[in-house]
Amino acid sequence: MSTRHILLGLLAGGPSHGYDLKRRHDDHFPQARPLAYGQVYTTLQRLVRDGLAEVAGTDADGGPERTLYRLTAAGSREVGDWSGQVTAPAPFVTNEIFAKVVVAILTGGDPAAHLRAQRAAHLARMRELTALKTAPDASLATVLAADYALHHLDADLRWMTTTQDRLTSLTALTAEVDRA
Amino acid sequence: MTNHPAPLVAARDLVKAHGRTPALRGASLELGAGEIVAVTGPSGSGKSTLLHCLAGIVRPDAGSVTYGGERLDRLPERRLSALRRTEFGVVFQFGQLIPELTALDNVALPLMLAGTARGAAQESAGEWLERFGAREHAGLRPGELSGGQAQRVALARALVTGPRVVFADEPTGALDSLAGEQAMTALVRAARASGAAVLVVTHDAQVAAYADREVRLRDGAPAGLEVGA
Amino acid sequence: MGNGPAAGGGDAGNGPGAGDGGVGNGPAADGGPVRNAPRAGGGVRTDLRLAWLLVRGSDRQEWWRVALTAAGAMCATGLGLAAVVLAALGRDQYAVPLAHGLLDQPGERNGVILTLLLLQIPVLGFLGQCARIGAVHRDRRLASLRLAGAEAGRVRRIAALESGPACLLGSLLAVAVAVPVLLALWSRPTALAWAGTALVAAGVPILGSAAGMLALRRVVASPLGRVRRVRPPRSGRGPGLWLLGGLVLVAVAAVAARAGGWTAPAVLGAVVLVGAGAVWLVGALSGLTGRLLARRTGSPAVLVAAERLREDPWAAARTHAAVTLVTVVGTGYLGVRHVLLADLYAMRRRGELGADLSFYTTGLDLTAAAIVLALLIAVAALATGTAESLATRRRGLAAQVAAGVPRAVLARAVLLETALPLALPLLLAGAGGTAIGVGYGRLAVHGTRGWPVPYAAPLVPVGVYAACLLAAAASLPFLRRSVRPGELRYA
Repeated sequence: MSTRHILLGLLAGGPSHGYDLKRRHDDHFPQARPLAYGQVYTTLQRLVRDGLAEVAGTDADGGPERTLYRLTAAGSREVGDWSGQVTAPAPFVTNEIFAKVVVAILTGGDPAAHLRAQRAAHLARMRELTALKTAPDASLATVLAADYALHHLDADLRWMTTTQDRLTSLTALTAEVDRA
Repeated sequence: MTNHPAPLVAARDLVKAHGRTPALRGASLELGAGEIVAVTGPSGSGKSTLLHCLAGIVRPDAGSVTYGGERLDRLPERRLSALRRTEFGVVFQFGQLIPELTALDNVALPLMLAGTARGAAQESAGEWLERFGAREHAGLRPGELSGGQAQRVALARALVTGPRVVFADEPTGALDSLAGEQAMTALVRAARASGAAVLVVTHDAQVAAYADREVRLRDGAPAGLEVGA
Repeated sequence: MGNGPAAGGGDAGNGPGAGDGGVGNGPAADGGPVRNAPRAGGGVRTDLRLAWLLVRGSDRQEWWRVALTAAGAMCATGLGLAAVVLAALGRDQYAVPLAHGLLDQPGERNGVILTLLLLQIPVLGFLGQCARIGAVHRDRRLASLRLAGAEAGRVRRIAALESGPACLLGSLLAVAVAVPVLLALWSRPTALAWAGTALVAAGVPILGSAAGMLALRRVVASPLGRVRRVRPPRSGRGPGLWLLGGLVLVAVAAVAARAGGWTAPAVLGAVVLVGAGAVWLVGALSGLTGRLLARRTGSPAVLVAAERLREDPWAAARTHAAVTLVTVVGTGYLGVRHVLLADLYAMRRRGELGADLSFYTTGLDLTAAAIVLALLIAVAALATGTAESLATRRRGLAAQVAAGVPRAVLARAVLLETALPLALPLLLAGAGGTAIGVGYGRLAVHGTRGWPVPYAAPLVPVGVYAACLLAAAASLPFLRRSVRPGELRYA
């Protein structure tokens, strides 16, 4: 995930200034963490340094002066290449829930209770997202974002259910071995 | 566990076996007026049997089911049938539409059973089809409808009598995710608008997320805490 | 069975495994990827074993089919044996110690043989109906056989082999009863009689299997079976063809009758003609009734019944036509009997009777028994058909009851489905039969004055109608069993 490429993508629509880019970012990725203005500014400067974007002029409009940025030919090639590339499917398996379950097992904690609590939290979030998505005035971007999150949370839940079943049967197996 | 003072439907310590296979062993559940509750759990955990007991479709071997304070497990079959026809709406995965009847007549049927004249029944059936976005399929028969269309017709049929509780057993089980989403959205919206309570049995967490609260079953009994809002 | 040499010989291209058909490797034994001779001897034996395994492992409904098929085959064999043995008597005169001498003369014997052959029609109809019991399960099972790699022809053969043994059982039972009776009555039966007996006993199971294959020719076309139940619309063309065939037969018989006394084909032709007409009439009427009522009715039961009739008016047409045919024959018979008896009594009073009165009445009574038997078989087929339709729809019916549709409404719909399409045909059949009786009295019998009125005849359609409703009602316990909530659980 790179803010660079997203900003390049937003610039592909035409020259924009930093504040406008931040606003459009937040519109298109409504459930993402909002972009800080400082981050937009430093990323734009780096894009100019690397020759992917350039200053197109300034725009006063009665208020404070604002710098307009636009895409260079190299920048538009770069964003095209990036969006066309297949994302590496889960090259490293790391996830906080997964890590916590493993640690709970290592430290003799109660992974089952942890999984139940996590399930409740997941479902609560899924309810929020479902309400957001099914509201009559939900925008397409909101629906797409909610769908994406719902499917991932659902995948987490399925993993948690399987893990719980697996732990239960492992416990039963260990008990049997102990008795033998 | 609910915030509602007097539950509309309540089951206590239900026990039910199919032959020698136990389906429910001490399951309890409360459903408040206008509340939407999802019952989830792995297959074979007794979800459907719990729904059948609550809706008065089967009698539990032990335990009690009350609706509005009345013991359902003690009512004669004829009263239960009338109750299911008027106070309850029922939606299954499939099979609740009569294949020979048009969508419109299928929705009108519960009203006709209650004594409404055919014309009036068809008129309000048409309105309900409209509400579920299936007006243009009124003249088609279930065999000519897609799964999603048929399920929306089934939902219209379940809600046409203005029930106080809708029981839905895997209502999206035979649908792809978009058709399932349309059906669930329509069901929840209609239930909220009419103040009907909904009990939806599902194995799908994304369907359960439409509910206010989740009751998780495992081996015929609630598993751990009820997961609520 | 009949193909000993082929079964023993095997096929050169057939792997060694198929020759003996070891217990463990039955179906796999001759399932090579590319084979030019799939119908090798070992195949039949494997198929037979597979068919047996499938029947043995199946549920109660399949046993119903086997039992009813065996009963039907027993009936068919019994009637066939009686006809064959009577025919074996040839043109000679015998003293048969049965039926008051009715079987002594070749002329009267021919009449009895014809009646026995006519009785085969409802029996065959009943057997056809039996093949439909549990048809949905069987279709599903055959489709999974296809999916497992069996060719279409082979699957059909297995299905036919399932019904063959049932027919064989029935036929053997009939033979086991018939042979001692024959030996008790006829001290030294001719070789012709024995040959005929063997032919019928072997022919019924073979014909039964062949009919099974024929009935299944459209089923199991694809390994996935039919996912959605969309039946190809049945047309009235089948009965139309029969109608044509009956007409030709009657025409030929009429010409032949002019040349010299061919009444048997004429009667057969007339029966086929009336039967085909009845199928067409019943089918067309039930479609029309369904369409008209479905649009107007305000009653849920009538609506469901009418829409089902509109959807498939030909579903029960054959059974209903058999009932209609029996009504025509029965009503006509009562008219003829009325006239004949009046005539016989008059002749006895005048002392003109050539034989004992019981000689004539026995013939009439035997005919009555045959008609009642035909009615029973037709009504049994009706009950079977209704029960089968309930069993096929049981999940839907269970869902209806769960949704609060009263069982009484569903039961009324089932009864109406029989009552609505039968009312007018039976009325017409009664009128036609009465007309035959009255016409016969007017034309054939000399010495009677005016129009003889068979008062009992109009009761026949009423009685038949009641019997049909009872038969439909007899299937209602099936409804009670079908709508158990257990059916709501999905596999």
